[in-house]
Amino acid sequence: MITHKDSIHILIADDDEDDRAFFSDAMMELKMNNKLTLFNDGKDLMEYLANPDIVMPHILFLDLNMPYKSGFECLKEIRADSRFKEVSIAIYSTSSSEKDIEETFIEGANIYIKKPNDFTKLKKVIKEVLNINWQFHSSGLNKETFFFSI
Amino acid sequence: MRLYIKYDGIVACRVILQEQLERLDISYKLLELGEIEISNSVTKENLAQLQEALNKYAIFVVSNEKSQLIQKIKDAIVEMVYEKDKLPSVTISQYLSDKLNFSYGYITNIFSEYTYTSIENFIIIQKIERAKKLIIEDELTLTEVSYKLNYSSVAYLSSQFKKVTGLTPSAFKRIVDKRRNLSN
Amino acid sequence: MNFRSLYRNSQIFKIALGIAILVVGYIASVFYKQMQSLESSVNVITNATETQLELERVLSIISIYETNLRSYVITKDKSYLEHRFLRKGEIEMNFIRIKKLVANNPARSKDVDQLKRMIDYRFALFKETLLLAESKNPGKEQLIAKLKESSDFTESMKTFVYKTINAEGDKIKIHNDNHQFELQDSIISAFLLVILSLLILLLSFNKMNVDIKELKKANDDLQFLNHSFNNAEKIAGFGHWKIDLETKLYTFSDNFLRLLGVDPNKFEPTIENFSKHIHPDDVDFVIKSHKESLETLEPTSMMFRYILPDGDIRYIRSVGSFTRNSKGDMIKTGVNYDVSDQYKKTLELEENNKELKSINEELESFNNIVSHDLQEPLHKIQMFISRIEAKEIDLISDQGKVYFSKIKLSANKMQTLLIDLVNYSRTIKGDKVFKETNLNEIITQILDDLAINIEDKKAVISAAILPTIKVIPFQMEQLFINLISNSLKYSKDDVNPIISIFEEEIFENEIYESKIISNEEYCKIVIVDNGIGFKQEYSSKIFNLFYRLEKDSKYSGTGLGLAICKRIVENHDGFIQVSSVPGEGAEFAIFIPRNI
Repeated sequence: MITHKDSIHILIADDDEDDRAFFSDAMMELKMNNKLTLFNDGKDLMEYLANPDIVMPHILFLDLNMPYKSGFECLKEIRADSRFKEVSIAIYSTSSSEKDIEETFIEGANIYIKKPNDFTKLKKVIKEVLNINWQFHSSGLNKETFFFSI
Repeated sequence: MRLYIKYDGIVACRVILQEQLERLDISYKLLELGEIEISNSVTKENLAQLQEALNKYAIFVVSNEKSQLIQKIKDAIVEMVYEKDKLPSVTISQYLSDKLNFSYGYITNIFSEYTYTSIENFIIIQKIERAKKLIIEDELTLTEVSYKLNYSSVAYLSSQFKKVTGLTPSAFKRIVDKRRNLSN
Repeated sequence: MNFRSLYRNSQIFKIALGIAILVVGYIASVFYKQMQSLESSVNVITNATETQLELERVLSIISIYETNLRSYVITKDKSYLEHRFLRKGEIEMNFIRIKKLVANNPARSKDVDQLKRMIDYRFALFKETLLLAESKNPGKEQLIAKLKESSDFTESMKTFVYKTINAEGDKIKIHNDNHQFELQDSIISAFLLVILSLLILLLSFNKMNVDIKELKKANDDLQFLNHSFNNAEKIAGFGHWKIDLETKLYTFSDNFLRLLGVDPNKFEPTIENFSKHIHPDDVDFVIKSHKESLETLEPTSMMFRYILPDGDIRYIRSVGSFTRNSKGDMIKTGVNYDVSDQYKKTLELEENNKELKSINEELESFNNIVSHDLQEPLHKIQMFISRIEAKEIDLISDQGKVYFSKIKLSANKMQTLLIDLVNYSRTIKGDKVFKETNLNEIITQILDDLAINIEDKKAVISAAILPTIKVIPFQMEQLFINLISNSLKYSKDDVNPIISIFEEEIFENEIYESKIISNEEYCKIVIVDNGIGFKQEYSSKIFNLFYRLEKDSKYSGTGLGLAICKRIVENHDGFIQVSSVPGEGAEFAIFIPRNI
């Protein structure tokens, strides 16, 4: 049985250096047992995921607005590959438009996070997201209907 | 083509356990969900084989007593939410301490320690999961769903649904339907 | 159908005329037959009379002869016998005539034959008597006996003749009576014939008169119509044309030629002459399409340009279709009209449309800038503010802290403004999906979203049972969020805000901006608060974009909130009203049509 004592493997793709920094700082301050890998854009992420030898991540954070390959394109590609069907995908974007939320959910995202404007809030959001994702992983809940928007 | 299936995880799990135990010729007795009594004569190799076989189905043999208890708590909650057609009217603390023979304080503490969440939160998540299933099955109205899950009103169900998922029940339904259309 | 209309119907009239002619013909033939029988009656009567005469003449000859013979017997004077043979000859002549007269009557012929034999016998008796009288020694008794026999025979002969004469007389009488009848019939027939002919003549004449009148009226109408049509062509700026596919002859209306800019009297109507006036770039296509249509008999519709003699270019729409004329020949008729003005307007409109589209696109990209590109740096600023606040704030001087809090305030204000702008632009965009929505569900949702704010203000918000109506759900949500936030914001410091939301019946034809509305058409939702209120005179201004009543920084706002409300309500074809008394609170009323 996986317990929370096991490490959580997290990937994040965001072209904004500051946002990446905020995110890793927040993770650090949360002191959760995790392994965070950062990617500068969608293309980097997809190249990494193409490698068959990687440790499967538990959760993947995708910024929507990225050069070369948008978060939306990444989402579609990842969901088309059955290798990643157990991976939760979280959209991490400045946009809070209903259209973006609905479309990404339809395309297979599980979590939609509007980037908070407050660091404390960011920590809270990440904690909540990891928690709820954990519940879905550990309690055998239906991933097909796992949606969480915050 | 995609098939949409309805299944009972508990029944499926029991069948898998029976099959695997019989395959290895282990005499057994299924107790409550998540608990099996096996004879002491089972060899260590046999036990290892069983663990290996069950891991394929994401069924893990838990040895830690606290972990076992947490599993029992979860099972009791799942059973409460799913098995009984309508949730019990007694308080949840009463229900759980009666069922597990521990004080509720002990139960909540140990649960929070191991799961990052509270029992109350876990119950909410499970109830909303059930609500999701019922909404997707599309046989009951939202009012009926809220009654079935012991919510005082549709509005209360909706707001709790939104808290847990960030979506309204109707937006949720719409997304699931569109997703199905997309994959078909 | 009444008689008048029967009379007007020339088909029926023709049938009646035909019947009348048949009747006249019949009567005429009857009349002719009667005349013929009349003539034969006259013939029969004449015949009979002559027969009588001849017979009497024969008798008188016999009598004279007898008298002469007696006189001779008595006197022995030979002169009495002088005409003896002559007489016989006379009788022969008589008989020939009688024979002729009775040739058609076999019974009478027999009588005549018998008479002939009797006369022959009588003459034989004469001869015997004469021989007896001339003999030297005539026996007196013998002679007397002979004379007696003769006179007896004459008597019987007379009786026979008279019988015959009487028979002829009867015949005459019968014929005469018939003749009278026939004559009367003929007169009636003739009279009827004349009356009938006269009647037909009168009717025909009248009918002709009526027809001619109608024809004249129709002709007048046609002329008037033609005239009006020509006028209409002139006024509406179109001209018509036709080509007879049998004769290949073209006809162009005067105004058609006027549109071409040519003198109607000096234009020979041929397609070649016409095509000279079509723009060189269009002429091939126009003539080709037209000629093709003459083969396929498909209607045509095309647009091309004329070049007028003065060099002006006109845009022409031409439509043509096929029909048959009264002779059954196929003809193509059509109308050409000047659409230059419309065309130019359409071009202008298209141009404007394009401009509008690009403006819209700009607006859309502006929206994107606001909602995304502007938010990103702001998001960064706020994140860094929160970072400094958490970690570095102690290192800043007191003055620095004041500046820092101002920065934070401005950043937050900018964020509210951006959110409001995004919300406002969302009310303009097209994706408006109406859905049956329970307003109570929306309110519950909102109260949940605003929970912290409500808690802070210790506000009491009550919502009565609200209707389920067809609305754009997210916009309705926005509307109530803005109105409730507004009430919470402009609350009194010392009083707990109380906000009530309920549906109110529309009082008998409540008048809103001179529009009469009723409870059936609209549903009225009221939001009442006990806040600071405002002067009623500002009631319409507060819905204006960026209009702010309170400049006090305590009531921070963007001036967009109520403008968004107004837009949303207008998106639902409804309207919003507010009434307020300063210090006593405000009452917002929204009117949404029940059926959209």
